[in-house]
Amino acid sequence: MTVAVSSVGTSAARPIRLSFDSTWLLWVGIIAVLLFLVVSPFVYLVITSFSAQGTGEFTFANYATAYGRARYIDALLNSLKLGAAAAALAGVFAVPLAWAVARTDMPGRGLTRILVLATFITPPYTGAVAWILLAGPNAGWLNRFFMLLTGAEAGPFNIYSFTGLAIVIALYSFPYIFIFTTAALELVSSEMEDAANILGAGAWRTMRRVTLPLALPAILGGLIICFLEAIALFGSPAMIAIPARFNVVTTQLFQFFGNPVRVEVAAAYAMPLLGVTVLLILVQRLLTRRKGFVALTGKGGERRPIRLGRWRWAMFGYAMLVATLSVFLPYLFLLQAAFAKAWGRGFSLDNLSLRNFHFVLFEHATAAQSVINSFLYAGAAATAAVILTLGVAYIVTRRLVPFGGILGFLCVAPFVIPGVVLAIGFYAAYAPPPLALYGTALILILAFTTRFLPIGFVNASAAIRSLNPEMEEAVRVLGGSRLTALRRVVAPLLKRSLLGAWLLIFIPATRELSAAIFLYGPNTKVASVMIFDMSEEGNFEYLAALALILQVLTLPLLWIGMKALGRDFMLRRNAT
Amino acid sequence: MKGLARLAAVLALAIVPAVARADIKALEEAAKKEGELTWYVAHYTSEGAEELGAEFTKLYGVKVNVVRTTAQVAYQRLLQDLKNNQAVCDVFSSTDVGHYVRLKAEGKFEKYTPETAAKILPAFQNFDPDGYYHTTSAGLVVLTYNTSKVKAEDAPKKWQDLLDIKWKGKVSTGHPGFSGYVGTWVLMMKNLYGWSYFEKLEKNKPQIGRSINDTVTALNAGERQVAAGADGSTLFSAARGNPLAVSYPSDGSVLIIAPSAIMKGTKHPSAAKLFMEYLDSVEAAKINAKHFAIPLRPEVPPPPGAKPLSEIKTVRPSVAEIDKGIPDVIEQWRDTFGN
Amino acid sequence: MSKLSLRNIARRYGAVDAVADFSLDLAPGEFVSLLGPSGCGKTTTLRMIAGFVPPSAGTIEMDGRQISSPATVVPPEKRRMSMIFQSYAIWPNMTVGENVGFGLQVRRLSRGEIDRKVDAILDVVQMRGLKDRYPAELSGGQQQRVALARAIVVEPEVLLLDEPLSNLDANLREEMRFEIRRLHDEFKITTVYVTHDQAEAMVTSDRIVVMNRGRVEQIDAPHVLYARPRSRFVAGFIGRTNFLEGSLQGSDVRFDGFSAAASVLEGSNASGALLYSLRPQAIGLTTQKPNGGRLAVEAEIAGRSYLGEYWDYQARPLGAAKPLRVSMGPNAVFEIGSRVWLEIDPAAMVRVE
Repeated sequence: MTVAVSSVGTSAARPIRLSFDSTWLLWVGIIAVLLFLVVSPFVYLVITSFSAQGTGEFTFANYATAYGRARYIDALLNSLKLGAAAAALAGVFAVPLAWAVARTDMPGRGLTRILVLATFITPPYTGAVAWILLAGPNAGWLNRFFMLLTGAEAGPFNIYSFTGLAIVIALYSFPYIFIFTTAALELVSSEMEDAANILGAGAWRTMRRVTLPLALPAILGGLIICFLEAIALFGSPAMIAIPARFNVVTTQLFQFFGNPVRVEVAAAYAMPLLGVTVLLILVQRLLTRRKGFVALTGKGGERRPIRLGRWRWAMFGYAMLVATLSVFLPYLFLLQAAFAKAWGRGFSLDNLSLRNFHFVLFEHATAAQSVINSFLYAGAAATAAVILTLGVAYIVTRRLVPFGGILGFLCVAPFVIPGVVLAIGFYAAYAPPPLALYGTALILILAFTTRFLPIGFVNASAAIRSLNPEMEEAVRVLGGSRLTALRRVVAPLLKRSLLGAWLLIFIPATRELSAAIFLYGPNTKVASVMIFDMSEEGNFEYLAALALILQVLTLPLLWIGMKALGRDFMLRRNAT
Repeated sequence: MKGLARLAAVLALAIVPAVARADIKALEEAAKKEGELTWYVAHYTSEGAEELGAEFTKLYGVKVNVVRTTAQVAYQRLLQDLKNNQAVCDVFSSTDVGHYVRLKAEGKFEKYTPETAAKILPAFQNFDPDGYYHTTSAGLVVLTYNTSKVKAEDAPKKWQDLLDIKWKGKVSTGHPGFSGYVGTWVLMMKNLYGWSYFEKLEKNKPQIGRSINDTVTALNAGERQVAAGADGSTLFSAARGNPLAVSYPSDGSVLIIAPSAIMKGTKHPSAAKLFMEYLDSVEAAKINAKHFAIPLRPEVPPPPGAKPLSEIKTVRPSVAEIDKGIPDVIEQWRDTFGN
Repeated sequence: MSKLSLRNIARRYGAVDAVADFSLDLAPGEFVSLLGPSGCGKTTTLRMIAGFVPPSAGTIEMDGRQISSPATVVPPEKRRMSMIFQSYAIWPNMTVGENVGFGLQVRRLSRGEIDRKVDAILDVVQMRGLKDRYPAELSGGQQQRVALARAIVVEPEVLLLDEPLSNLDANLREEMRFEIRRLHDEFKITTVYVTHDQAEAMVTSDRIVVMNRGRVEQIDAPHVLYARPRSRFVAGFIGRTNFLEGSLQGSDVRFDGFSAAASVLEGSNASGALLYSLRPQAIGLTTQKPNGGRLAVEAEIAGRSYLGEYWDYQARPLGAAKPLRVSMGPNAVFEIGSRVWLEIDPAAMVRVE
């Protein structure tokens, strides 16, 4: 005979305390900040798109201008096509690699992971520069090599083409799909596969009928993320599409900020980008909700890798091929250019020079400063984002206010706003008076913080959810406020996770271009903008030197992250 | 009497500079107190601009924030600054003359005529009779080519040669939407040959960069073989040992006369004035010569290997044409070349 | 001939022996449980039988054919066994019908055959109406049944179950215990069942293998295990018991608080310390001194707990340091501190190692 015990869930909604707790001030402050960072720019963006320039009265004229010219619509279509092509290619690169690394006995899995990480920390515009060196139609190294081998007049590779751009984008965004796919494959309980095996299914049939279908929603999710990245990129399309003579949304937006500045038209033009993003995120959510695809129960036991037999080496070869395209070749020729007097002259002793580094570091007034700026702003943004999202995640997870879900939503919302659009929103909202943040470091830091709120929030919520609330209740029973509990118990316990989130924000923030290109001022140039500017004179030697400096400076941070959080901390869905 | 008059004249000439020099001294003091100035510059390559800035700092102890971009980007930046009531730029040096016409009309410049402006080559003086902006740099758009790929006798000799089918896939240019030099050149070609010139050029699939100096790197890399480039940056790169050469087109090199001006409401008025003095000075001219730009001071000879201006046939659109014309050709270019 | 033979199976991980020297012969159609606390090696043994893990030593044979040895292992897909996992491992991307029919598809039966067999087995587990549902729409118990149906429909040589009931609540667990035994009886499949719950093992099994720290403690039928445990571990693990330490002195064995003639106790002719297990149900409590061949020991009630179905008494023999646990029916009420007589049948005292 059992006695029924009604369980009082510790996470049940508590009634709001009527007594005044000074912690409430803090919570209200946080909510105000969120509104400032996320809601306001978005609202301004929408309002601006309907405002006439100068007068501010309501008008549809901006939309008419934005979609009036065939060239502008072409740019939009080009972006969509580019996104699809890049995502598909990235899938081709990533999915086999992810499967091989997560599920098989392919040799060199650890090496492959490291190489994917190296790809991940390479900014797409650096990759674009390297590929210009590699595949410029006449002078590119690959073409020269081909001509040497075959004696042909011209090489087959032309980076200045739609295909070229799609490949470059795919090469530097495939790690996203890799991360999503490995996470999904590792979540699929091995009992699912064991069950198929014991019923007679061999490795391939099991993969086909059990593993891949279960991982499919995550893979599709990764493809969608890739697509969204591709359409929001500015640097690589600007460097490649202009000579390739086609336009995409981001380069077109840049033109609207040209001569004269037409923020209103830019805002109107940016709306479809936002719309497409929101739509696709919804689709991705829908995909993963159906059929309860989360299958992470059970002990798992030993994970048995699939034996590939002879195919092990073929798979390894494929992995090395992808790594060659994304890491080995690009960095080799970036190094060559950085140490060359004129990169076109090739590998010869008299072409070696340290002049480029000297120029960039000591002679160029703003280059060295731009690197410092990058790190300073990224650090400030990462700190702000981590603290803010910790607070919000705490409020939401512990249900301290009604409708906490909305706060969580606000924190994650910037994910659906492409960096470019976010920047324009910030520009519209905060550059002019009353705040007059134009050209200041603050507007850049705010934009970066907002851009990376989602990462911070996802990490913080996962981490707080893993904590037992009773530990904080123990503090409060003994007389401490919630803030004390947060400061003295929660934050110290979550040190690792917070560090991980900080790094996960800091590292991408140092190389952010799409948002920075619209918000920087002459004194607040960051390294990514500097690199882009340098590309306008085609000075690839200086460019390569600066890009390599940026990469080298990132390595110690990566090392710290790996020491504190494990070798693959950047390749996991969250840092915990 | 004649001798006395002459003596008086000589004395006067000796005194005037002395008086002028006293003014300059006061300017230098004030500038040093201000400490720095910001220079939006499209003339010169980054290297050239940096060197000019560094020399100024060496001479007067005033820091120069060199913001070197292409002309249209500089203009865009300036407009944004003005729209947001931020006085960031102190001295504005663009290669699109149209910018000056418009900004002067809107009263955005500080009127100041540096003493050195009267000492430059007469051809470049009095660009703006009202004294709001003054020539500080001049250059040419010429035909350039890679000597290791193209023999001198095969190199293009006039602008129309670029349209020859044998150069298909081998031509390099900048983009008028970015570079003032390129914008002026495009306008000139349109004036001479009509827009069909570019429709035909499009068939040769040129590589389009942004700055006109992009042509130098494209040729150096061997990516392209011939270009519509700037004489200064090309010859400078050649002097460094790169396989480049200039071919002065027989139908006229396009002369670019580019002024500078002080922005109204500048936070560093003395430094800005001193800088304007400097830009037309002998020291600056020497640096220009070193970078194969046309030295504006008669005291400084053109560098070895460069033809003196008097020996070159030049053509140039009028200021009014540039003002109206460049925005138009930018749009036309985008329509023809797709971007 | 035995259906499945494990000969001196061992599995090492580094310096640790997860399983050591495990031997077992299963007769065709027999239901054997591997029972023990977590970490005892039962799941590892099961996975070696399934072929997911190769043995470090020893061999496994089925129907006389060797299927596992340290050198070669027939892969799981070729063993014609079935397994039910702790998480059920029902594939969420397939319907109930597709799940159950998977193994038949692999065996290349015709469409019609598959449908027929699937429908039949779903009837047996009473899930016929849910054939087109997806697992996310099913309860835990229903998913369990699907797992059973999927495993049985292929008519496996051996059926393996890895703690299948631990995710169910208490009531459902009881129901499913009977269900599993019923299905076993109906289809007569040789079954190996891993669990840490001794009640489960007792209800379902023909024989139980008690394991501790990788080693076999005892293999016997449930009632034999209960009545005649051979080691301290088994006695303590299966049901509750009293451990009595005694020493031989002359012709008596002296315990804490009482003694018994050595002649009536089994195994009393050994030297040194003797350990006996005595079940609480084997002791009677009376107010009057019992007469007859049993041991009578005077004691005092030191504590008691009422559990509804029975009383759990702590009765301390006079002069003893520790009390003995005694189970009595719900109507046998004794006050704390009252004097009672313990009635002990010496034949129920089992000597254990």
